[in-house]
Amino acid sequence: MAAIEMAPVVSSNRDGRFAKVLIYVGSGILVVAALAALLAPLLTRWGPTEIDPSGTLAAPGGEHLLGTDGNGMDVWSRVLHAARLDLGIAVLAVALAVVVGTLLGLLAGYLGGWVDDVLMRIVDIFQAFPTFILALAVSALLGGGFFNLVVTIAAVNAPAYARLVRAEVRTLREMQYIDAAKTSGASTIGIMWRHLLPNSLTPVRVIAPLNCGWAMLTLAGLSFLGLGVTVPTAEWGSMISLGTSDVVAGRWWTSVPPGLALLVCVLGFSLLGEGLQERADAKRR
Amino acid sequence: MRILRFVGRRLLQLIPVLLGVVVLTFLLVRVLPGDPIRSILGPNATEADADAARARFGLDQPMWKQFLDYLGGLFTGDFGTSIQSGAPVTGEMALRLGPTLELVVIAVTIAVLLAIWLGIWSARRADRFGDHTVRIFALFGNSIPEFWLGLVLILVGYAALGWFPAPSGRVDPDADLTPLTGADLVDALITGNGPAISSAAAHLVLPVLTLVIGVLAPLLRSVRASALEVLRSEAYAAAAAHGLPERTLLRGYLRRATLVRLPSLAALVFGTALGSTVLVEYVYSWQGFGQWALRGLLYRDYPVVQASVLIIAFAYVLVFLIADVVHAWLDPRVKI
Repeated sequence: MAAIEMAPVVSSNRDGRFAKVLIYVGSGILVVAALAALLAPLLTRWGPTEIDPSGTLAAPGGEHLLGTDGNGMDVWSRVLHAARLDLGIAVLAVALAVVVGTLLGLLAGYLGGWVDDVLMRIVDIFQAFPTFILALAVSALLGGGFFNLVVTIAAVNAPAYARLVRAEVRTLREMQYIDAAKTSGASTIGIMWRHLLPNSLTPVRVIAPLNCGWAMLTLAGLSFLGLGVTVPTAEWGSMISLGTSDVVAGRWWTSVPPGLALLVCVLGFSLLGEGLQERADAKRR
Repeated sequence: MRILRFVGRRLLQLIPVLLGVVVLTFLLVRVLPGDPIRSILGPNATEADADAARARFGLDQPMWKQFLDYLGGLFTGDFGTSIQSGAPVTGEMALRLGPTLELVVIAVTIAVLLAIWLGIWSARRADRFGDHTVRIFALFGNSIPEFWLGLVLILVGYAALGWFPAPSGRVDPDADLTPLTGADLVDALITGNGPAISSAAAHLVLPVLTLVIGVLAPLLRSVRASALEVLRSEAYAAAAAHGLPERTLLRGYLRRATLVRLPSLAALVFGTALGSTVLVEYVYSWQGFGQWALRGLLYRDYPVVQASVLIIAFAYVLVFLIADVVHAWLDPRVKI
């Protein structure tokens, strides 16, 4: 965090150096988190679901760096291994949402007419709900598990991308270079793919990282409520959920570490997104 | 009159959206796997028992007949009977809305006031130390999982310091509170029940604080951004160049122009807060709407799912409509 505290001294927004600091720190956090997830087995002697028969709820220190939870599983090992699932589901879900949303937005924006009407009315229905509530309802009905969670989080986010890309395409399609492409005989698909798609993705690039952070919070929230990933699979939200009863008794180590890990990863995405936004704003000025 | 026509037109536009919500919820809850009947029957129930229970709730009827019954009930405010509890859904829901609205309204009000003050303060110090501190705080606030924050607050406020009551309810049962609206603090104030007032207030502190921190960040960012826009506008520069006193500039020019955005912001944050309350209620065992809806979803209690989903969508779009009307009323530049 020190780098950001120093930022005002070395920069002003105009030369975009502050944006650079945000992007570097954010990406740095995410690279470290990804490495920790990949190298998890090397960083701990315990498996993520391995039960230590000699003690449940052991305090941190000694055999277990961060103690053990109510099932006698090593908290440090579980925090590390959980990063695979939390980061993986969030990034996959946002990628899926971007692909589906962009495709629908392109179609609605460029074709217009009834395609646009039908697609936008569906988007309206999706956007009649606060996003977390929608995710909650969809995942309660679909059920948990890796695949369903990716689909749920993607489905909740895709409408926003569709609307964003549609708005962008509607301004772009009036541009002269689209007319030029049409008169030189480019096909509809060719125009969408080669001209509209690359240009309409600019706002998507800024929003997607922020969205990944949101997706991680949603996933953990669902698991916390018992709807996402369930014990004994290592996932931060379900670990925090398991630790709720310990908190009232004053035992912090079962729920505080997974929450901190989640906070740091989401912060990484937020910093990256904020930096990209700042850079986009600076360019526009 | 123009405002009335605007409201009328917007209300008409809501009808297809809400109808879509009604149809989709009705279909999805029935098509996706899960059986509401099995969970209320004992493990030894026979197929005949299940059929009898299905008939009791009208689930043996063809789908179109069930849908028409449901739609007909909606027009008279009848949401059907809960399969889990056997009680009318409308009454159950009314009991649950009070406690949740109490949390959301208090938290959103505090967050909005705090965001206005801090956001303008931060914008006037743009790119200086105070501003960066506020922005980093907002980034943290945006990234923190509310449910985890709730647990940390319990750990500190209850387990370590013992300043606040245990997270197991909304008011001390010994305070002998007569329920009226379901919002305990309001009920205690109306009945003038002293012990209940302090108990309800003490129970509110931690959940409200959790929600406030959760929703403050996005508000703060928007207020700061729109205040910055005003500060960099030519109108503001002209007013400042005339040498108007600092107070007039702040009150008459900066704050008023920034506040125009407030209604739509508050509406957006209301939605975020509704989502967060489900988690916050769970952490603090707050028997509100979120807990009720969650239980309904988990047990596939069709009438409860239909009612809660519809009410949330209705409240959310209605709040946005109110925000647009207030905005149009406040800002003469808006054409309606």
